[in-house]
Amino acid sequence: MEPIVMVFAWTIVVIVLAFIACLFEDLESDEGSQSNPNSQVQLAPEMGYIHRYYNKAISGEGLSYALACTIAGTVAWMMLSQGITPVIAIPFGAGIGSLVHMIRATIPHLGREAAHKRFEQPIYMDVFYGHLVPIATHNFMAVVCITAIAYIQSPMGPLAAITGLQVAANNPFPLPLLCFIWGITVGAIGSSTGDIHYGTERLFQDRPFGEGRRVIYHGQICRYGDCGIRTSKDIVAFCAKYGGPATGLTFGLIVLFENWRTLIGMMAGGLTGGSWSPELASGVGIAIGLVIGVILIISNLYLVRWARKKFGPFVGE
Amino acid sequence: MGEEEKAEEKPKEKFTLHFPTENNLSIMGIVVGALVAILPWLPAIVKGVGAIVVILWGADCVRKTARYGLGTGVPSIGVLAMGYGLVGGITGIVIGSVPVLYGVGIVEPAVLIGVAAVGAVGYISGILANSEKFIGMKIPGLERGMAELGMAGALAVIIESSMIAGTWNASVVIPNIIENGVIATIFILSGFGMLQPFNSCLGADERRGRTLLVSVEIGGLCCIIFGVVASLMPAPSGILQGIQLIILGVIVWILFYSSYVRACLREAHAVVGTGLIKTMR
Repeated sequence: MEPIVMVFAWTIVVIVLAFIACLFEDLESDEGSQSNPNSQVQLAPEMGYIHRYYNKAISGEGLSYALACTIAGTVAWMMLSQGITPVIAIPFGAGIGSLVHMIRATIPHLGREAAHKRFEQPIYMDVFYGHLVPIATHNFMAVVCITAIAYIQSPMGPLAAITGLQVAANNPFPLPLLCFIWGITVGAIGSSTGDIHYGTERLFQDRPFGEGRRVIYHGQICRYGDCGIRTSKDIVAFCAKYGGPATGLTFGLIVLFENWRTLIGMMAGGLTGGSWSPELASGVGIAIGLVIGVILIISNLYLVRWARKKFGPFVGE
Repeated sequence: MGEEEKAEEKPKEKFTLHFPTENNLSIMGIVVGALVAILPWLPAIVKGVGAIVVILWGADCVRKTARYGLGTGVPSIGVLAMGYGLVGGITGIVIGSVPVLYGVGIVEPAVLIGVAAVGAVGYISGILANSEKFIGMKIPGLERGMAELGMAGALAVIIESSMIAGTWNASVVIPNIIENGVIATIFILSGFGMLQPFNSCLGADERRGRTLLVSVEIGGLCCIIFGVVASLMPAPSGILQGIQLIILGVIVWILFYSSYVRACLREAHAVVGTGLIKTMR
């Protein structure tokens, strides 16, 4: 097989893994109301809204995923350096990372609900125990994908084995550091994209749609489900239909556009043979990136205008 | 070494937890941290205790800096501490490894230059953030908090590098800690030890003793994970140093995690197996 074809093939694998990772990352953060919606769940008892949500504040999604993925990467790196096959090392490392994540998830629920003593928020033990295994399993899916991506790119991975190109196809950073960077990235994308679906849609389902949340509503979250009292597990089933896949698509598209423009630029610069020109490679890559950016901005503006016309007018317009 | 061992023994006394006051904890952190940092020949278990004390100090700094209303900014403060820590720690490691300064053999104080430098940088950044001429945030005690955060982060990086590699000499640390990426694990685990306690426990009825238990618990987790990494390292580290760390980590983690959980369950408004929510209207 041509070396460049192998590079494109591994890039496609990385994109698919990124899609799955960010999908599960968003659902995992919804499982315990992490990141942005957490401020509303935290505020609710202070407004008198006693709830049965899981209060999982592990220092923001970016950092908590950096922790889980870095530990997974470190364990996988240690096992790989002892000659263990990646098929065992990567899931084992991800399992350890998810275990640590689950332990970290127990801390904030107990700590923050205990700190709500004067607002008479009890600790429901069924909520506490019932959410731990779903948190760990969703986290495992995300972390195993991220560790696999980092392994593919690392100097010990399959990209490093591709020879015959003008430059090395792999990333020079070691596996734990790549896991750290990818963990922060997947957490940041999941936090910025997916939480809107949970925070402003699901937590405020009894309010008018699409107008943003006024300060007067803060903390007054929707506490009842279709049947009975809502817990964080009901959120996941709701967000799995739209918020999670949209978040995964966002991250997948970011990885796709970024790698595609770089690879096309490098091919234009003579990656596959002949004269290798880094200036031409980076120039063409930047130009393609700018074109993609402009197309995305224009299509987003058009989409927002169309949505406002179809579903509006909103309060304050 | 008496003080921190006393702090570890505390939870056995029926949850009457008395961590030192903020000033005493700062003095304890800087003294224990500096002693463990300048004596790189110490066994890994003592370095592990030193790392736990330094992380505890950092968590207390985050708490006293962030409790004036920095809700979502708590993780940022912790990451800032470790950012200072990486710069200061690696500066100290490199300066301390200069042969002229390293030649003393038993006591190697040159590594503290990096710690002091980053303390000064933290103090200046605190002044810049607080002064009305610049940003004007007017957070009480920010200057001191930033200086202490920087120093705690730098000491954590130095002590943990030395825990894993057996010494903090740059000729060992650069290939065994930095080039293979273990530095990322050091960064995020010590960062979590400092930033997670206050972030996870904040609320109207937050209590300092309960919050700091989490920090020591993460210190134990650090010792377990770094112990496993250390046991794979070449000499002067190795399997013997790694096992010491793992044993210390397991004991500290079980002790402090269980006491934290019990403290939370005891101090909550109510602990119920299941139940309906209080309706308002």
